[in-house]
Amino acid sequence: MLKKLSLLAAVLLCPGINHAQDLLPPETSIQDAVDHYIKSEQATGNIQPAAQVDDYVLMRRTMLDLAGRIPTIAEVEAYVADEDPQKRVKLVDRLMAQPEFTEQLAYDLNNILAPAGKTDLELYLVDALTAQKGWDTMFADMIYGNYEEEMPKQAMQFVNLRISDIDNLTNATSALFFGVNISCAKCHDHPLVSEWTQAHFYGMKSFFNRSFSNGDFVAERAYGEIKYATTSGEQLDAQLMFLTGSVIEEPEPVVLDDEGKKKEKADFEQLKKDKKPAPAPAFSRRAQLIEIALRENDREYFSKNIANRMWHRIYGYGLVMPLDQMHPENPPSHPDLLDWLARDTYANGYNLPRLIRGLVLSQTYSQSSRYDGEKRPAEFWFAAANVKPLSPRQYAAALAIAARNPAHWEDASEAESRIANEVKAQRGWANKFAVPNDEFQVSVDEALLFSNDTAFEDKIKVSNDRLGGELAKLETTEAMVQRAIKAVYSRPATPEEVQAISAYLDARNDRREDAISQIVWALMTSSELRFNH
Amino acid sequence: MSVNPSRRRFLGGAAAAGIAASSMNMDVLKAEALSNELKKNGKRVLLLWLAGGASQLETWDPKPGRLTGGPYQAIQTSLPGVQISELMPKMATRLHNTAIIRSLNTQIGDHGGGARLMHLGRRDEPNLKYPDMGSVLARELGRPDLQVPDYVSFYTATEGRGNAVGQPGFLGARYAPMFLTTDNKPAHLSRLEDITDLDHKERADLRALLSNRFAKGRVSESLGSHNVAYGRVRGLMSSEKLFDLSDEPQKIKDRYGNSLFAQQAMVARRLVEAGTPFVKVARAWWDSHGQNFETHLELVTELDHVMSTLLEDLEERGLLEDTLVVTLAEFGRTPTINASLGRDHFARAWSASLTGCGIQGGTVFGATDEDGQHVKDNEIGAAELFATIYKAVGIDPHHEYFVGSRPIPLVDPGTHAVDEVLA
Repeated sequence: MLKKLSLLAAVLLCPGINHAQDLLPPETSIQDAVDHYIKSEQATGNIQPAAQVDDYVLMRRTMLDLAGRIPTIAEVEAYVADEDPQKRVKLVDRLMAQPEFTEQLAYDLNNILAPAGKTDLELYLVDALTAQKGWDTMFADMIYGNYEEEMPKQAMQFVNLRISDIDNLTNATSALFFGVNISCAKCHDHPLVSEWTQAHFYGMKSFFNRSFSNGDFVAERAYGEIKYATTSGEQLDAQLMFLTGSVIEEPEPVVLDDEGKKKEKADFEQLKKDKKPAPAPAFSRRAQLIEIALRENDREYFSKNIANRMWHRIYGYGLVMPLDQMHPENPPSHPDLLDWLARDTYANGYNLPRLIRGLVLSQTYSQSSRYDGEKRPAEFWFAAANVKPLSPRQYAAALAIAARNPAHWEDASEAESRIANEVKAQRGWANKFAVPNDEFQVSVDEALLFSNDTAFEDKIKVSNDRLGGELAKLETTEAMVQRAIKAVYSRPATPEEVQAISAYLDARNDRREDAISQIVWALMTSSELRFNH
Repeated sequence: MSVNPSRRRFLGGAAAAGIAASSMNMDVLKAEALSNELKKNGKRVLLLWLAGGASQLETWDPKPGRLTGGPYQAIQTSLPGVQISELMPKMATRLHNTAIIRSLNTQIGDHGGGARLMHLGRRDEPNLKYPDMGSVLARELGRPDLQVPDYVSFYTATEGRGNAVGQPGFLGARYAPMFLTTDNKPAHLSRLEDITDLDHKERADLRALLSNRFAKGRVSESLGSHNVAYGRVRGLMSSEKLFDLSDEPQKIKDRYGNSLFAQQAMVARRLVEAGTPFVKVARAWWDSHGQNFETHLELVTELDHVMSTLLEDLEERGLLEDTLVVTLAEFGRTPTINASLGRDHFARAWSASLTGCGIQGGTVFGATDEDGQHVKDNEIGAAELFATIYKAVGIDPHHEYFVGSRPIPLVDPGTHAVDEVLA
C-alpha cells in the first residue's frame, strides 16, 4: 500500500516537470533568461509592461537591494552624470564587492531561517557568504553540521532552536529549504494528496527524530523509530522518506542494553559539559537528508526553492506564491523560468550572489513601480516593479543617511567610512520596526512613534549636523526644496512639490525653522522613503 | 497558458480590489446575514486576565470540607444551589448577569504555552500565525473609522512580554494591540510640547499630500497600510483623555479604589464606553506555588471588589448589555495542596466566568468531581470557550478567513459554542 502511494506521489508531486531540452541554453546570461521568459509570457497575455525607470530611481533601488541603504546626494548625482554605458553593471559589481552586500544578505537570510526574533544564524551566514560557500554547503552546515572541519556551532542553531518540537523543525525545514509546507496540506480535499502528506510528513520527521539538543550542539542517536496512525486508524512505521517519495534503505537501528544506554547518556553529558560536539553515528539520518535533498533526481525542491526565494527577495513577489506552497495544485507563474533558474543555480554551485547579480541586471528589474496604464496587471506578470517595504535595517539606514546634513557625505575620501559609521551607529532604530512579511502592514504604533517621539524630533531638528541645518542656510525656497527632496528621495523635486512645500513655508514666515523641521518630518515619514520602489 | 487560470482570476480580482481588501480579507465578499451585522454592532469585550493562573477552588469552584478544599469556606450566592468561595462575597450577591464555567480542560500546563492557548483559542501552527482573541474582536467589532484604539492591552510586569500574547497574525498590523507597558497611558499618544497642535496637524496634511502623490499609480497593501496608519494618528491622539483618570468623578474613583488593577479597570470602562471593542486588563502574581491561601486572600478579595464594581458601573451606564466581561487565565491551580501550602499549575479542570453581553445570567455550566481533580460534566476546551465568547457578541464562530485560498475558521473546525450559557 505504502509503496504504491509513494510512487504515485512522486509522479504527482514533482514540482513541475523538467523539460530541459526546451529551456534556453545554459550559457544564456541570467538577466537575458529572465527578460526572455517574462516578456514572452507578457506577450501571451497581451500585457503592456511599465516604462523603464530613470537613473535616479535605478540607483536608489539598486543601492537598497545591494547595500541596504539609500544613496547620498553625491552618489546619486555622480551616477546620473556618469556617461559610461557600462555604469549600471559597474555599480552592481562595486556594491556587491562591499561588506554591506554580504551583511544584508546574511541579515535577510537569517530573518527567513531563524525563528522569529532570533539572530543566531546571522554571524554564521556572514562567515559562510564571505567564504563564498554555496547554498548547498550552508544547508548542510545548518542541518547536519560539519564533522570534517570545524563544527559551525552557530549554523546548528537552525536545528537546535527548534529541536524541542520536532514537528515544528520538520515543517520549518520543509518549508524553508524545499518550499513545501507539509502541515498545511492537511486541509486539501484531494484524498491522494492527504494520504501522501501523512506518509511524507512522518517520512520527513524521521530525518530528525533521533536528534536532540546537547548543549550548544545537536547530537544524534543510532536508534529511534516513528510510528503513526492513519486517518483510518492503521498503525504504520514511518520510513525515511523524502518529499519526492524516495525512500532511503537504512541499516537496522543499533540496539543498546540498559548498561549501553547509561554509558551513552554519560558520554553525551560529558560532551555537553565540555562544550564539544558529539560524534555523528555511523549512519546519521540528518546526513541522509542532505544527501537525498541534493542528489540528481531529488534536488528540484531544493534548487527551485532557493531560486524562488531569491527571486522574491529582489522582485517582491515569488514565481510561486506563497513561497511555501510549491506543489502541483499551485504551479509557478513562469514554470520554464523557474526551471531555468533552478538549473542555472545548481550548475553554478548554488552561488547566491551570482544569482542576485543576474536578477538585478535584467530589464524586468528596472521597470517602474508606477503603472500609468488603464489597469495595473497583477503582480505575477512582473509587468511593473513591486514596491517593497524596507527591512528594519534598511529603514534605519535610510533614516540615518537622509537625516544628516548632506555636506557630511561630500568629501569623497571620507564618505565611505562616514556612511558605514553612521549606518552602524543608527542601527538601533531597526528594533523599532517589524520585519516585513508578504502580508506586511505598517502598524499605527510606527506612525505614532514618528509623530510624537522625542528621538525622532531630534533627527529632524534644524541644527548643523542635520539636513534641516543645511536647508535653513539656503537662499531660495526652490533650492531648499530641491535639496531636501534629493537628500530624502534621491531625485529632483517636481514643480508640484516645490509649490506645495513653498506654500507650507510661506505660511510660517514667523517660525521658519519650525517649518523647515516640519517639512523634513513630512518628507521622511512619507511612503517614498519607507518603501523600495 | 502556463498559469492556472483560476489562480490568475483570483489574483487579478484581489489586485483590482486595491489597497483596501487584502487577499485574506476576501471573506468580506461573502454575503453575511444582515441581522448578524446588526447584532454585533457596538458590542465589546473586556478581558480580566489573571496572569499566572488563579485558583478555581478559591474563586468559582470551591470544594469546602474536602482535603483539596483549603481553609476557606463556600458561601451561598444569590442563585439557588450555587456556591462560590467566601473570598467573593460581593460577586456572590450579583451573579444575575454571570455564567460560571467549571469544566475547562485545556491540557497545557506551562505559562507560555497556556497563555498562548488561552489568547489564541487554538494551538500554534508553525507556518501560520493566528490572530489572538483581541485582534479578531478588533477586526470583527471595530469600525474602520473608529477614532479610538480598537485593541488595548494592559500588561503587568510579572506577566512578562513573552506571555503577554497579543498578535494580529495573518490579520495584519492594523489589528495589533496597543500595549500599555509602563503606565496606564500608551506611548506616543501625546503631542510633544515643541510643536503646536495646528502645525502637528498641518505637517501631517503635507505628509499625506506627498505620500498620496507617491502612491498614485502604485498598488500595494503595505503601501496602503502605511498611509492608513498615519491617517489614524490624529484620531487616536484625541482619545488620549480616555487614559487620563483626572476627570473621572471622585465618587467613581472611590468606588473602584486605588489599586493598579482598579485604575486599569476604570480606564478599560472608559475605553469601552467610548467604543473600543476589546480591552484586556491583566492582574499578575496569581502563580501561588507557595502560600496559595495568603496570596488568594489578597488577590481574590481585590478581584471580587474590582469586578463587582466594574460590573455595577457598566450596568448603571447601560453598557453591560453590550459589553461582555470575561475572567480567564492560562490555567487554574492544582486541587492537591503542596508542601509549601501552594497550589501548582493545573489545566485539567478549571473555571472561567462570562458576564454581560449575550450571556444567560445566573447559569453554571459543567462540574468537576468532589475533589476538583477531574471534569465530571460537560468538559470543554479553549476552542469551545472562544466560540462561546464570539457567539455572545454576535460573531459566527464558524466564520472563515482566507489565507491565500485556505479557509481558516475563527475557531477550530468541529467545535461549538456552549449554548447553555448564551442568552
